[in-house]
Amino acid sequence: MFKKKEKEKTLHSMPSNIFFFVKLLFSVSPLLVLGEFLWGLLMILPNNLIKVIGVKYIIDVVTEGKDLERIFGAVAVIAVVLIVSTSISWLFREFFWNVEREKVYFGLNKKLYDKARSLDLESYDNPEFYNNFILTIESSSASIQNLLGLVRMYVGHIISLIAVASVLFTIDPWCLVIILVVICVFLPISKRVGELMMERRIDNAKFHRRADYFQRVFYLQDYAKEVRMNNISPLLMDRYNDAADDVINNQKKYWNKISFLNCLQTVGVQGLGFLFILPLYLGYCVLVKETLTPGDFVATFNGAHAVAMSFQFLTVWALARFSEQGKMIDKYREFLKADFKIKNGGKTAPKTEPKEITIKNLSFTYPNNEKPTLEDINLTIKPYEKIALVGYNGAGKTTLTNLLLRLYDATTGEILIDGENIKDVTADSHRDRFAAVFQDFQIFSCSLGENVALDVNPDEERVWDALKHSGFNKKLEKGIDSELLREFDDDGVMLSGGEAQKTAIARAFYKDCPYVILDEPSANLDPVAEYNLNQAMIEAAEHKTVIFISHRLSTTVNADRIYVMENGRIIESGSHAELMELGGTYAYMFNLQAEKYKE
Amino acid sequence: MRWIKLHEPVKVPVLKNVIFALKLVWEADKRLLIGYFVTEISNKVLSMYVQNILFLKVLLSIIDGDADFKTYFTYLLLFFGIYFTVNAISAYATRQRLVATKVVLKNVNNKIFKKATELDVSCYENPEFYDKYQRATLVLSSSYYDLICWDVAAVVGGIIALICVITTVTVINPMYLLFLLPVTLVFAIELLKSKAVYKRDLQMTKNNRIKAYIQRTMFLKEFSKDMRTSNIFAVLTKRFKAAIDANVLILKSYGVKLFIYSMVSSLFSDFIPIIGTYAFAGYQFIFTQSLSISGFSVVLASINSVRDSTLSIAEGFDEMTQMALFFQNLRDFFDYEPKITDGGKDAKEFQSIEFKNVSFTYPDTTKEILKNVSFKITKGETIAIVGVNGAGKSTLVKLLLRFYDANDGEILYNGINVKEYNVQSLRNAFATVFQDYKNFAVSVNENIMCHECSDEEKQIAEKALRQSGVWDKIASLPKGADTVLTREFEIDGAGLSGGENQKVSAARLFAREFEIAILDEPSSALDPIAEYKMYENLIDVTRDKTVIYISHRLSSAVLSDRIYVLGNGTILESGSHAELMAQGGEYSKMFTLQASSYKGESEVSENV
Repeated sequence: MFKKKEKEKTLHSMPSNIFFFVKLLFSVSPLLVLGEFLWGLLMILPNNLIKVIGVKYIIDVVTEGKDLERIFGAVAVIAVVLIVSTSISWLFREFFWNVEREKVYFGLNKKLYDKARSLDLESYDNPEFYNNFILTIESSSASIQNLLGLVRMYVGHIISLIAVASVLFTIDPWCLVIILVVICVFLPISKRVGELMMERRIDNAKFHRRADYFQRVFYLQDYAKEVRMNNISPLLMDRYNDAADDVINNQKKYWNKISFLNCLQTVGVQGLGFLFILPLYLGYCVLVKETLTPGDFVATFNGAHAVAMSFQFLTVWALARFSEQGKMIDKYREFLKADFKIKNGGKTAPKTEPKEITIKNLSFTYPNNEKPTLEDINLTIKPYEKIALVGYNGAGKTTLTNLLLRLYDATTGEILIDGENIKDVTADSHRDRFAAVFQDFQIFSCSLGENVALDVNPDEERVWDALKHSGFNKKLEKGIDSELLREFDDDGVMLSGGEAQKTAIARAFYKDCPYVILDEPSANLDPVAEYNLNQAMIEAAEHKTVIFISHRLSTTVNADRIYVMENGRIIESGSHAELMELGGTYAYMFNLQAEKYKE
Repeated sequence: MRWIKLHEPVKVPVLKNVIFALKLVWEADKRLLIGYFVTEISNKVLSMYVQNILFLKVLLSIIDGDADFKTYFTYLLLFFGIYFTVNAISAYATRQRLVATKVVLKNVNNKIFKKATELDVSCYENPEFYDKYQRATLVLSSSYYDLICWDVAAVVGGIIALICVITTVTVINPMYLLFLLPVTLVFAIELLKSKAVYKRDLQMTKNNRIKAYIQRTMFLKEFSKDMRTSNIFAVLTKRFKAAIDANVLILKSYGVKLFIYSMVSSLFSDFIPIIGTYAFAGYQFIFTQSLSISGFSVVLASINSVRDSTLSIAEGFDEMTQMALFFQNLRDFFDYEPKITDGGKDAKEFQSIEFKNVSFTYPDTTKEILKNVSFKITKGETIAIVGVNGAGKSTLVKLLLRFYDANDGEILYNGINVKEYNVQSLRNAFATVFQDYKNFAVSVNENIMCHECSDEEKQIAEKALRQSGVWDKIASLPKGADTVLTREFEIDGAGLSGGENQKVSAARLFAREFEIAILDEPSSALDPIAEYKMYENLIDVTRDKTVIYISHRLSSAVLSDRIYVLGNGTILESGSHAELMAQGGEYSKMFTLQASSYKGESEVSENV
């Protein structure tokens, strides 16, 4: 009747994952791990033992009418145990645990971030890996907390189970047998409930994702204008309601089963087992056989509860959680182990004057693509040249710069700088020779200075110089220390599109390096700003090699050489005058744009 | 895990908001609240009282009194019967409640959507309102509506259980209350403690936001290139470390206080009742030489019950207080009266638009964006509005579409103030392509027609897609124009490039009937050839229509009947391209600048 659920495979077994995690934590903070174990122990064991042994002892002493000292002795022991265990627990929790967790968060995330930074850019194009990657990073902090709590509880419950069960065993082995039999009989139901819950969550996530999307359309400002100008909201609301109905039906489908099974399980274990069969047996022993004392009765009764809780926790609840978290750890491990395709060369690239860049028979195909994005590219860039790459959207211009920066490695062919293959040097030292402003440049939520320098400790004078060249003239109260964006600083400075672009361009002026790559540097600029930028660039980049990509052909006129790309190939190259004379694609595109300016 | 996002502490009436919340939920689906009350009360009373205490008491008193096994058996059966019945009812209620919670989600969301579409665009652009609105929606997206029902039911259930337990203990021996009642003090201490934790977490909010931001920059693709080609990673790591260090300091500074609270709480909830009960039992034994075993065991068992129910009441109260703020935001949202009010008139066929001395300043800002702007557009004209970034071009459009109302002056549509028209009918007269265009995760056809399409309408959509130059791409998708856009939740959805998306968005304009087209930088994501073709088609479609172009590319202005040059919120110049060039003002300066790089070269091409 139940459909077989597809098992998600994990790379490592659950114990191996948990062991890995505990070891990892131990390497970041050994004290936290040991403390957690101790805490788990102190949280569960003393309370359970008092409820079982303490009670039995007192009642037995009372019924047997033995001496007083023993009662007060027992009370004193209980008091000491309670006070000591509670104080230690709270000391650990309030002074140590909170702080240490923060440090662990740092330690574990730092590992992830270091890894993330060194990852091949290609990994971002692989949706499967990328989704895993996001999942790993996003949930790392929550996972740490969950797992730590889980491990702590696990340790506590195991010890408590052993202790309480052995006490019960000494009182009457049959009690223990009854308890365990009852639990085991109903165990399959609990397991089934756990599975159903998991399936429900997966299904639910699917339906919710759809509903959440339409919810976002109404919640977020991005869509506000479009929704108001086009009468699309009835359609979107319909779609939302369809998705919401799916969620409701899914809920019905699963909860009908789950609440029935849950009820069966509770009534079975708690009701039938602990409230009926066990007391029946105990009552029989006390009233009829008279083999047990009232103290035994209370102790067993309380103990049964403790054993059941621990057992249930260890077998069903914790296992389900562990297997869920195990998947998380699996992803974490997989991520840390992920291999690079971009291997570092042995040498460090020298930061010299601009040298000749040679691209030889370069071809490149994005992973999982059939069609090559670049085919058989050959070009030589002389020192100090200003190179323009032009062409249609998707012609491969940006890809070419990605290869130059070694964000990807060419499928075939090679790139040489001063005769040295860029694969022979370390990726970092190679990239350090370039300043790059990307089409989709980002402003970071850091200070203005850090945003220009893209490094710690920006040099104030040089930052201002760079900003001047890029035409940035916004007056800021705190100068280069002004925080940008309102991500977490309510006084953060919000830049307009043009100002942001100028800030990004300033990065190229700031960085002390021989080669500059500019991808669509003037997309957000108005004509006046664009003209000024072109002038500044010519002036400031005099001692550098510059490669820029542009749709606006007016900016390419002054380039030393223009490469026109189409479908991954270079179809024309030469100076502006040469290409215009050639009368090919470039001339056609240029005239299209220029004709509107002709009188 | 129970957890609430932190924001600045604002005092709001708790009771009023709780009542609002309960009413909202009750109207959406009664089963949620009823379900919670049934399950919470039965669970609390059953687990904390019946099972833990009453059961033990009854059985022990039988054993104590040496009753016979048959009576004992009867009682066991009775208890089992009660247990079974209550659990069955509770299971049914749980099932109803879990379905109802999603029904409430749906119904309240529909309410919010309806209100959201009535909202002024200015609300979205006002950070304060928008922030409040986002917090209001947390009521749904974080399930606070469900949580608050739970809290209310848990508090009620806890109080009932507490009364049952205390009554039982009083009957056994009122002296035990001496050790048991202090447990209820935990209520106050826990509230104090949670207040301290709240304050502490509030101090950490900024640092936590930094942590979350750093995390985002680490995994989002858009940051990945900068991260690799520069040393920004070092900057971010430094910030990350600083945020952690700051948090550690804050956490440490609260250590002593929280430790004391926790110890006092344990004192009242564990030490005093447990040790007191044992000691009192011993004392009783000395002086009376007798001790009721059942009484003693029951009192011991009741300590846990009193503590747990007190804690759950405290937690419930605490949570309600914190959630009140979110419900207050939701109330404010529902109470918001749109400032853009509807006039009754229907916008008829377009004749003219006139701006008369219009001035405008964005709310809560001081800079006047438009100063005394006047101009008139009549049917069939092609108008270009040009100017540098920030000159007020887009604002002009926002006023015309009534996203905002002018502070001074008036805007006339066919000679009548735009405020006198029905907002929707006025907006329907315009077809727009925005700079920040958006497409929706519905099919391509639906994106264009804005509703579910008949076959006939699909033909119209296809024609529009051809005109905007993206039909070939769309036709190559697995389900053609029926393919859903984005891979958001559809595996076979289409992920289009920026240029393709812009073309789909533009196709919306080609597909509809309109009086006036407003094109706000419609080609920003297109390459020169695609841009050229798009313009050709736009000119074609809008041949007999009125068109307003907004662009900082002056090339698009050349063909228009009239050009308005905006600068610093005023119209600097107006006239045809030829007139403005002859005038030699701002426009001719800008045009010459842009054209300079194309000039001279055209001769070369002409020679070819």
